[in-house]
Amino acid sequence: MINLRNVRKFYGALEVIKGVDITVEDGEFAVFVGPSGCGKSTLLRMIAGLEGIDEGDLILNGKRINDVPPDKRGIAMVFQSYALYPHMTVAENIGFSLSLKKVPVAEIKRQVGDVAEILQLTDYLDRRPAALSGGQRQRVAIGRAIIKKPSLILFDEPLSNLDSALRVQMRAELQRLHRELKATVVYVTHDQVEAMTMADRIVVLNKGTVAQAGHPMDLYHSPDNEFVATFIGSPKMNILPVTLSRPDAGKLRLENADGLAISLADGGANVAVGEAKLGIRPEHLKVSLGGQGDFSAEVVIVERLGVETYLAVGSPKDPIVVRAEGDLSIRPGDRVSLTVDLSACHLFDSNGLVIRRPQTL
Amino acid sequence: MTDFALDKPGKSRRPDLLAYATLSLISAFCAVPFFWVLLASLDGNAQLFLSWPREWTLNNYVRVFAEEDGARWVFNSLFVVGSATLLVMVLAGLGGYALSRTRAWWKQPFLYAILLIRVLPPTALVVPLYKILLTLNNIEGNLVRIFVGGDTARAIMRWIGFIDGYLGLILVLATMQLPLALWIMKTFFDGLPRDYEEAAVMDGATMLQRIRRVLIPLALPGLAAAGLFAFISAWGDFLLPLILLSSPELQTLPLGLFRAFLRVNTIDYGFLAALAFIYLMPAVIAFGFARRFLVQTFSGGVKG
Repeated sequence: MINLRNVRKFYGALEVIKGVDITVEDGEFAVFVGPSGCGKSTLLRMIAGLEGIDEGDLILNGKRINDVPPDKRGIAMVFQSYALYPHMTVAENIGFSLSLKKVPVAEIKRQVGDVAEILQLTDYLDRRPAALSGGQRQRVAIGRAIIKKPSLILFDEPLSNLDSALRVQMRAELQRLHRELKATVVYVTHDQVEAMTMADRIVVLNKGTVAQAGHPMDLYHSPDNEFVATFIGSPKMNILPVTLSRPDAGKLRLENADGLAISLADGGANVAVGEAKLGIRPEHLKVSLGGQGDFSAEVVIVERLGVETYLAVGSPKDPIVVRAEGDLSIRPGDRVSLTVDLSACHLFDSNGLVIRRPQTL
Repeated sequence: MTDFALDKPGKSRRPDLLAYATLSLISAFCAVPFFWVLLASLDGNAQLFLSWPREWTLNNYVRVFAEEDGARWVFNSLFVVGSATLLVMVLAGLGGYALSRTRAWWKQPFLYAILLIRVLPPTALVVPLYKILLTLNNIEGNLVRIFVGGDTARAIMRWIGFIDGYLGLILVLATMQLPLALWIMKTFFDGLPRDYEEAAVMDGATMLQRIRRVLIPLALPGLAAAGLFAFISAWGDFLLPLILLSSPELQTLPLGLFRAFLRVNTIDYGFLAALAFIYLMPAVIAFGFARRFLVQTFSGGVKG
């Protein structure tokens, strides 16, 4: 189990990691995700020991390891470029850490053989990295990590150099390996799809702080804030500026400039009236041609994929994206009515923090 | 050339033929001087103009080594240029790494400033350079003479003297070659991801292990390219040994060639050609060795 407690990092006067608390349980596949510059890689490098920790505690299996050198932490890392030494064979690459420790050659050979078997690299041990495919290189990089029998394996955007087809394949392979090795993994990526598909726990980072941490579906269904709401999910959640008012006691009214007008029961929650934001995922808007709806808008763009259809409606500059099942023969310029699935949408205050979902208001 | 089969016959043959003809012509143009020198060096009665030798002989080569001090010149040249190259490789390796990996405001100005050494014609620097080296040499000589006297001091100064000593020439030659080598190595390390070193750190490698087992093998193509340029350029240098060396036993190959050319009696073309051919060989061999590293270095660093 790894614990980060109020961890901070400064570059000069600039605070890049602003008091982060994260826990990853044994055997968990944790993904740190966030836009570039959010501090996810820095955080990973701090766990690895490649960057110092200015404040706070880093605790691995109950032991504070802030000041333990990288190779003594019991942590292995798979680098973005894999960093396989081109002048060494696969076997030498995997066994490098053991040979540095002056482990006897026969013992290195045995352990490298074991690791190669797990990773299906036995036939490639005498090759140089240049003679391997992308997937094989990744397996060698993982082999170099697991031969150290680490209690934690770190991955730094390992799929970002691969083309999209190979990436999908590698995702599946990483999940299979994680199941087989039962290793604790911290994985950094900027790709929310990678995070959603692989993680047991996602930690969304934004500007050096944890925006939200939890199971992928918790983040998807109940985001704590506008940032997580729009970062997780593709296409991303629509955010509509609305005005909240309370026409009668116990009633709330949502209105916006496009003619959206929804009345809600104010279930006793003390919701402040005024400016707010309504978050609706594309799949939670229902389209009808000419029928009744919560509001209507003009279609700007239509993307027909056969199994589903994406519509961009409203202002061309900042359109609302709608996902509809099946193939709809709607053309740009048509006017459609839209119904909001109130049970699935989210209300955020002007600071982007979630107000409880409208359904439960 | 198996992919010729894939080409449509008749369509691409002609441009290919033209390209090969042009390339052959250029190759011949480049090769003729070498061939000329080789022919003349094997000719018992070589003249200024190219002619097929009437009598084949190795006598010219024998004379270089038997009658003249040829072996000494070859040794001097190889020793001086080799030492300078080694020095350049070590300094450029370490310096290039430092220049690539550190962040300092003076880095760019420094890199452009050292290029100036390369840009200024050495001839223009000869007088101040000689003055400085002479001063250093006198101080050094006086120091040496405190401990040992007369002939021993002279023998020592032959190795470590700044004027008319190996050390001075080695240092000056290395200085001339270092800027370009530093640029090559800095650029090379720029293209080498830090991941390699950090992976080694994670594996528990000490600083020395990182240099020996990771950095040097990775930097070898760059070092070979930098060393090759230094060697070839220093090997071809004529002015600096001419100015800095005067003792006959320190003469290098280009000086030997030059002096043989200046002899008062008739010019011995066979002898000159043999000497020239010997002078050519190390540069050609060095190029042959380093060619594959050159391609690797200038086509974008390490692939792995």
